[in-house]
Amino acid sequence: MSKRIGRSRASRGRLLGCIAALVNLACVCAHADPYVPRSDDVVLAELPPGTRSADMSARQLSRARVDVAIPLAQFYIHQSRLSGDLRFLGYAQAVLAPWVAKEPAVPEALVLQASLQQSRHEFAASLATLHRSLATRPNDPQALLIRATVLRVLGRYAEAAMACEEFSSLVEPRLGMLCTQSLRALSGEADSAYSTLSQMSSQGWLNSEKSWLYSELGELAVRLGRDEEAQRWFELDLKLVPGDFYVRAAYADLLLKQHNPLEALALLQGQESIEPLLLRIAIAQKQLNDPQLAQSSARLRAAFAAEEQRGETVHRREQARFLLEVENQPQQSLAAALENWELQHEPDDVLILLDAARACGRPEAAAPALRFARANHQRDVRGVQ
Amino acid sequence: MNIAHKALWALALILAACSVQAHIASNGFLNIEVDNAHLSGSMELAIRDAELAVGLDHDGNGKVTWGELKSSQLALQSYVLGHLGLAGNGAPCTLAFGSVKVNERVDGSYLWLPFSADCRDKLDTLRIDYRLLDAEDPSHRGLLALTANGAAQTAVLGGSAEPRQFKLKDPLVWSAFTEYLYAGIWHILSGIDHLLFLLSLLLPAVLVRQRNRWEAVPVAAPAFVNIVKVVTAFTLAHSITLSLAAFDVIRLPSRLTESIIAASIIIAALNNVFPRVTEGRWRIAFAFGLLHGFGFASVLAEMGLPKGARLISLVAFNLGVETGQMAVVLAVMPLAYLVRSTVFYRRAVMPWGSSAIACLALLWLVQRAML
Repeated sequence: MSKRIGRSRASRGRLLGCIAALVNLACVCAHADPYVPRSDDVVLAELPPGTRSADMSARQLSRARVDVAIPLAQFYIHQSRLSGDLRFLGYAQAVLAPWVAKEPAVPEALVLQASLQQSRHEFAASLATLHRSLATRPNDPQALLIRATVLRVLGRYAEAAMACEEFSSLVEPRLGMLCTQSLRALSGEADSAYSTLSQMSSQGWLNSEKSWLYSELGELAVRLGRDEEAQRWFELDLKLVPGDFYVRAAYADLLLKQHNPLEALALLQGQESIEPLLLRIAIAQKQLNDPQLAQSSARLRAAFAAEEQRGETVHRREQARFLLEVENQPQQSLAAALENWELQHEPDDVLILLDAARACGRPEAAAPALRFARANHQRDVRGVQ
Repeated sequence: MNIAHKALWALALILAACSVQAHIASNGFLNIEVDNAHLSGSMELAIRDAELAVGLDHDGNGKVTWGELKSSQLALQSYVLGHLGLAGNGAPCTLAFGSVKVNERVDGSYLWLPFSADCRDKLDTLRIDYRLLDAEDPSHRGLLALTANGAAQTAVLGGSAEPRQFKLKDPLVWSAFTEYLYAGIWHILSGIDHLLFLLSLLLPAVLVRQRNRWEAVPVAAPAFVNIVKVVTAFTLAHSITLSLAAFDVIRLPSRLTESIIAASIIIAALNNVFPRVTEGRWRIAFAFGLLHGFGFASVLAEMGLPKGARLISLVAFNLGVETGQMAVVLAVMPLAYLVRSTVFYRRAVMPWGSSAIACLALLWLVQRAML
């Protein structure tokens, strides 16, 4: 992107930001407590597909018929993945429950159950469910791919590679390549994996497959310090799948790292309802001394508090970043980052632990993450050299 | 959120596109305040959750309006009555509802339903049976904030769990007290830097400096006075700064305090090898004790102080620190007193023990300040 375009986008972002700030300020003053809406026509909620009480009849049906239950659960899981809305996982869980509890369980139901457990970061439970499913159907590519990705998040690369290998023997070569190369990139061969992946031609691929490729490449480019290329991959992906909040977050992180909060805000416009994106918005607002920060922080604080009260850990990493980069509470951030490190071992998990430990003046606290990254010869220009 | 999410996305689970909603699990918020036999509170449910439970979208256009919510009030009330059981001292309390309002949260609009109830007699226990959304969303939970007798407690309800019984007699204050007391003891016993600082100041307490040499104190009294002075000064100083930091009056960057704490150990230890301050070591204890207080504060900050029991938790933590400190002093100092006149104590423990402490602290200083 040329500088000129970048600037015009930034100034547009600033203008919209100001307008939004004024509107929001008015809202906050009026609605700090429970309130009575102005008129009967005020819309309180738009119901996403599949969430109307009328849709409950399909759910009733799914209790008796597995051919209704499986696609319905798939639908809910897919909705959650598109929107980042964890409620859909609860609906899927309700639909799957009778079929998972059955002996012998329905393998498709088990795979979907494993997938929703993975989305909730219940990694041990997910692996156990996959174990059950693979025992009856060892050649299920979907189960193998979930297994590979869960093990990868846990940093168990050797086992992940085995799952990838089995997966590769069952699917199109391009998908096998994606699985194995993105794993190699975390095991000391980042440069060669990057060049292999970036030379793959994605002609004739499904959009979802392209999106997987672009996001792997984008993330890898960030770690290798090839910022401009990363930006290109992220933009390709978002053009293809505008609702891809995962890549949107990664792209925003890149812009924030480059101290470009205005462009980050423009990228995140209207995405406040997605917690991980709201975090990036808050970080950008903090860099800009934006008065709206107070509202964003309050919402994030409430959301993390609710999650903590529930004993859930889906956003521990985001919480650690929030504490460090928005709240200026390095000690609490370090505690959250350490807890997060117990749960998962992705490059971003290494990074937040390093940052939090440094900010506390206790770099030795990040030793486990650093040892892990070095043992796997990982390189990340943002932290691990 | 992680990359696994991406890889799975590529699987053949593709269906229609959809609007963007919040990244948060379903929660209901149940607030209850108990005042003798009277009970008041509110139940908050996401509009989306209420739609699943009772159906609010009467015209079926996929949008829930304020008008539709208002016209569903009776259905909502009977749903809550049927799925939320409250019983005081074993007898059910009958709820009466106020009119519904709306509240905004991170994941959208919530309906806010106030209620009150008069139970039979003054409540000692409250039993809550939370079954909202049980059938529709097994991951739904009720987040309870219960205030009784000025003490607040929280709990997670639902998920087909058994009904929960809550004791209303200041449970929080007592549990916070013990929790923070143990945390204080544990911190002083495991945080060896504070102890080394104190010991460096106490080692010479059983000696007296005469003609540039360490001599044993002839009787117990001056040694005892020395110990009491140092320990009291240290305690007083770190209590002051710990309180100031805990209530956010003063804050110092932890890198700075941790580094100065390391430096304070070096100074205290070197003072035994090359004595400068031989009388009134309590002054060193007081001056650096102020900094050690900030060190304790960072531990407390990690734990956070519970609302409604902030002061009691702070006092408990401080008491824990003193308890741990006294345990060590009582274990070490009588021994030091007994061996004070040996050559070993005066020529080996004093110079070489202190030097070893200084070396260790130097290492910490480098680590904390440079890395």
